[in-house]
Amino acid sequence: MGEDEGEGDGKNCKSEMMVAKKKAGMIVSILLVGGALGYLALGNFGENVVYFFTPSEVKAFSTDYYQKKVRVGGMVVEGSMETYPDRLGLTFRLTDGEATIPVTFEGIPPDLFKEGQGAVVEGYWTNQQRFESNLIMAKHSEDYMPIELKRAGVELPRKDFMKSLVE
Amino acid sequence: MTIHRVIRKVQRFEGWFGGGALLCLIAGLYLGLIGSPPDYYQGEVVRIMYIHVPLAHTSLLGYTILAAGSLWYLWKRDPIVDNMCQAVAALSAVFTALALGTGMIWGKPTWDTWWTWDARLTSFTVLLLILIGYLMLRTFVDDPEKEARYGAILAIVGFVDLPIIHFSVEWWRTLHQPQSISMRGVSISSGLLVPLLFMSVGMSLLFSYMLMVRTQLLYLDRLLHAKKGRLLSQFHLSKSDS
Amino acid sequence: MTNLHRRWGGVFLVAIVFIVLTYNHYRDNLASLAPEQVKQETPAGEIRVLGMVQGGTLETRGAGEATFALLGKSATLPVHYQGPPPDNLRELKILILIGTWNADRQVFEAHDIGIVPNYGFIAGAYLLGLLPLALLLFAMTRRVHSLYEEIKASTLYEEE
Repeated sequence: MGEDEGEGDGKNCKSEMMVAKKKAGMIVSILLVGGALGYLALGNFGENVVYFFTPSEVKAFSTDYYQKKVRVGGMVVEGSMETYPDRLGLTFRLTDGEATIPVTFEGIPPDLFKEGQGAVVEGYWTNQQRFESNLIMAKHSEDYMPIELKRAGVELPRKDFMKSLVE
Repeated sequence: MTIHRVIRKVQRFEGWFGGGALLCLIAGLYLGLIGSPPDYYQGEVVRIMYIHVPLAHTSLLGYTILAAGSLWYLWKRDPIVDNMCQAVAALSAVFTALALGTGMIWGKPTWDTWWTWDARLTSFTVLLLILIGYLMLRTFVDDPEKEARYGAILAIVGFVDLPIIHFSVEWWRTLHQPQSISMRGVSISSGLLVPLLFMSVGMSLLFSYMLMVRTQLLYLDRLLHAKKGRLLSQFHLSKSDS
Repeated sequence: MTNLHRRWGGVFLVAIVFIVLTYNHYRDNLASLAPEQVKQETPAGEIRVLGMVQGGTLETRGAGEATFALLGKSATLPVHYQGPPPDNLRELKILILIGTWNADRQVFEAHDIGIVPNYGFIAGAYLLGLLPLALLLFAMTRRVHSLYEEIKASTLYEEE
């Protein structure tokens, strides 16, 4: 590639096209990098785009949010999970320590879904002040140990998820 | 024609890296898959951590080498450094893609989703795009010196993604769990930490070994091309003489 | 048979031995019965049953005792669990119960909770993580070898 020196008009024209193509390729690859970095800057440094809202923020939602699909993250309140005997689905409450919202879900929750653990739910905040979720994602913490240690009461250092929500 | 002294050194020492990688990975795989207990919360799938985390941090190590090498190239303009940069970029891209892939496989049984656009996953995808952009850019520049220089600048600009990846789980709300080894301390009990360490060291050694092999490959390729070019020009010369 | 092939043959052998060892280690955890199978076949001795804790049926008594119904595709199994504290037990959880089927009282007496065989994810992750690297490394080392050969061969032209 790029070794033809262009003898005669036809070849010259061809090599000019090659040069243009290469220029375009360079621009595309620089745009790819720039665009990816730019997306990151806008998506994460921006004030109004967050991965999930907290229950406090959801409670303060204006009515415009009712039609919008959003994600909410928080702790599943201990003892709040209720299931139906006749169909697959559940209700539970999600909290950030300051506000708590009720959540409904149809289907089987993730294997790691558990009361007292973090979860991120996707769905709609309705005007009945209830969150209708169509996707539950279980958030697990960064501590890992065998069950014997956990039962013996060992606690490894970890980030306080609830505290990080209201900060 | 002589082979560059750096390449000769690499040739002499690469075996130690390859062998070390093999031993560490065998030990790590044994401990990770058989010789370690399941996690209290995740159960057996925690074993995916021993492959996913080493791949992920090795790709970050790779990009750090790329950025450092790029600076070095801009300073010294040594073509062998550029060969190393080109090699490390391709390998980092592979490791990044595999880290993303194994992460997806870990995400399904734990989070219950293959993919979500949280800050960690997004910034890591951006790393892959930067590396692909870097490798693409290089194919579109004809002049080798310009190719190396443009690449180096792009690689250095892209380095801003690294602190973002690292701190994404601390700064922003994410689904991905925070760092297990951080200022807070080590959040992995020894039974699960040892296989992770073996796999991490093994993966870093494997990466280094692959980097040595690929740098040689690119260097030899360039050498052979230069040689062929010269032979060709000599051929032309002798033809015009006659 | 070059040195390169011998070395990679060794790596391949190690990989095969490893896969066999790992498979053997987990083989016992793979098999399980469904609730409907247990009801129909009334198997004797210790068995493993895979199912889901039915909604609204879980009742815990103390730390290590619970009763619930295990839901299968077409049948539910009444379960009495007594064993180590079931840390992750909840309704709508899919799990493996280890115990015996009491045909007289029509209740499954479980004494432990096993791990759901989701080993496919683990195997998939390790294969995805390691296989491409091995193939890439093999291709690269082979190419480096042939490049050295080519350079050596072309020195004839060089030496004038």
